[in-house]
Amino acid sequence: MIRFESVSKVYDGIAVVDDVSLTLERGTITAVVGTSGSGKSTLLRMVNRLVEPTAGRVLLDGTDTASVPAADLRRRIGYVIQDHGLFPHWTAARNIATVPGLLGWPRAAIDARVRELMLMLQLDPDVIGPRFPHELSGGQAQRVGVARALAARPEVLLMDEPFGALDPVIRQQAQTDLRKLQQQLGTTVMLVTHDMAEAIRLGDRIAVMRAGRIDQFAPPAEIIAAPATGFVADLLGEGDRAFRYLSLQPAARLARPGAADGPVLPADATMADALAEMIWSGRDRLPVAGPDGHPAGVCTRDDLIRAGRPG
Amino acid sequence: MRDRMAILLLPLAASAVLPLAVFRANRIAAGQPHGLVDTLGPGAAGLALGALALVIGALLALHRPVLRVAVAAGLLVGLILLMGWGAARLAADAPPQARVGPGTGFWIALACAGLLVIDGMTRLRPGPALRLALVALAVGAGWLILGSGALAQLSVLQEYQNRSGAFWREGAKHLWLAFGSFGVAMLAGVPAGILLTRLPRIRPAVLNLLTMVQTIPSIALFGMLIVPLGWVAANLPGAAALGIRGIGMAPAFVALFLYSLLPIVANTVAGLTGVPRSVTEAADGMGLTARQRMLRVDIPLALPVILTAARIVLVQNIGMATVGALIGAGGFGTFVFQGVGQTATDLILLGALPTVALAFLTSAVMDALIAMLPGAAR
Repeated sequence: MIRFESVSKVYDGIAVVDDVSLTLERGTITAVVGTSGSGKSTLLRMVNRLVEPTAGRVLLDGTDTASVPAADLRRRIGYVIQDHGLFPHWTAARNIATVPGLLGWPRAAIDARVRELMLMLQLDPDVIGPRFPHELSGGQAQRVGVARALAARPEVLLMDEPFGALDPVIRQQAQTDLRKLQQQLGTTVMLVTHDMAEAIRLGDRIAVMRAGRIDQFAPPAEIIAAPATGFVADLLGEGDRAFRYLSLQPAARLARPGAADGPVLPADATMADALAEMIWSGRDRLPVAGPDGHPAGVCTRDDLIRAGRPG
Repeated sequence: MRDRMAILLLPLAASAVLPLAVFRANRIAAGQPHGLVDTLGPGAAGLALGALALVIGALLALHRPVLRVAVAAGLLVGLILLMGWGAARLAADAPPQARVGPGTGFWIALACAGLLVIDGMTRLRPGPALRLALVALAVGAGWLILGSGALAQLSVLQEYQNRSGAFWREGAKHLWLAFGSFGVAMLAGVPAGILLTRLPRIRPAVLNLLTMVQTIPSIALFGMLIVPLGWVAANLPGAAALGIRGIGMAPAFVALFLYSLLPIVANTVAGLTGVPRSVTEAADGMGLTARQRMLRVDIPLALPVILTAARIVLVQNIGMATVGALIGAGGFGTFVFQGVGQTATDLILLGALPTVALAFLTSAVMDALIAMLPGAAR
């Protein structure tokens, strides 16, 4: 659990982070969204003390981070940045081994951990392991960066625009992979992004930051349903609010008994997927698959449209 | 042959009609040029011409760089051995004080062969390990040829035979001057560079000061150091016992040290400030301490730039150490200045050739070492 208690950071008389209090629950992903200069990265960097707060304190599982030597603290916290920051003179495997090495793990344990992480992130240890960063693709380098951050099994993972350098196709895959990985490991993730769509896709909760303050801190559905300020609404974009809302809910929730023609909607499809399929195939009812993959009911257009309006 | 290096074949062919050797009645007398036939005799001259034609034909016909390098290297070695043989032939009929040296034809052919080898090597782009092996091979071949006595009648080697003791003594001094001052400059310059990256305010002032030192002509700097070092020797107890004097080794050593500082300090600063921000940020975020970051990340990443400075400094020092002889520091420059004083060209060469060879070897070895650094292709 990460807890910010009235945290401020002042540079030259200007509060970049202004009296922020926030609690990030253990085992969740919190996305901090804001425009550049909103103080979101500064807030993130105060967790591992790359930035020291001017006022207030940051607690990690109840311990004041200021009471722990910075290097020790950072070795317990995973850190992923936009340009991956891999050490160019070390192989991918040695990069991943950085923190376990600093912690003095035995050689064999480090090697085993590096292998395990590479397999977990779909990187072939024998092929990718001995490569230098300049020999990796953008997606591979990003995954090596994540593996490096997770190497010493940190309970907290800080990510600063981790997908910023990836092209859109790879970015979506990387986001899906992160979500799966986080569910598997139960890590507490704090992720900074300027992209509201990314925040909605990944965040269990979203903190919207503007000028050093939190405008709204809520689950994605609530942010979409009831943006607290005009700024939050602007970040969401007026045009596709309904679709974003639909994209957060599984279509199976709307299934009612009955039958329909045409291809069956997969069990993990969202309501947005269902609506898109209806428009595209010209149907107004779709069969929806149950967990076993067989049709479990139908989803109707009227139900979908009702579900797209919160409240 | 489509490449530009074909132009070299013209002077190479022309060198055959230029004097191969220069004959002197004694070591300082004016030289008489001797052509190919004069030097080698008609039979051997014919063979040599035939071989030269073959080489030129081969260079025109062969396009694979490996083969061309082999032919050019063969030409280089052949030329040197031929020169030695010709010198022995001319010296055989002459009184012992006569000297036979290389003529313009030899030097031109040698330069062409050397350029062809270098050009071929650039095209081959051998890996660093292979380059080191080739350097070792060249040194070994040189050693063998010199040791075999095949060149013993050449004027430069005659000078060497009269001074072999002094040659190695001055050579050791030369190495000590060039490499010793470099070593001390590295020990001082790298930490100074590290310090300057943390003190950006005084950085321009310090670098400008070192640039000013660099602009002082070497002879002037040697001269300027005589007075303060003389004072130190006279007034500081124990300084004289350490060999510190106004003239000799000490001022030359100090001057080379001062010249070495700018490239080392400037490149250390450039290398360290060139480490990408995302990398230093990641290193800090992983929990490397300042010291760990410096030793494991910053310095290794700056190393190629620092070693480039080391290469520049070493080559510069090897050359500049010759000037130290003017203030009694010794080194190969001793022979150069003696030779100038006596108008004995061969004596000048005895000092100059090893200096050039040393600089060339050092540069090649340093280049290979820089290319061997891990992740060097980045």
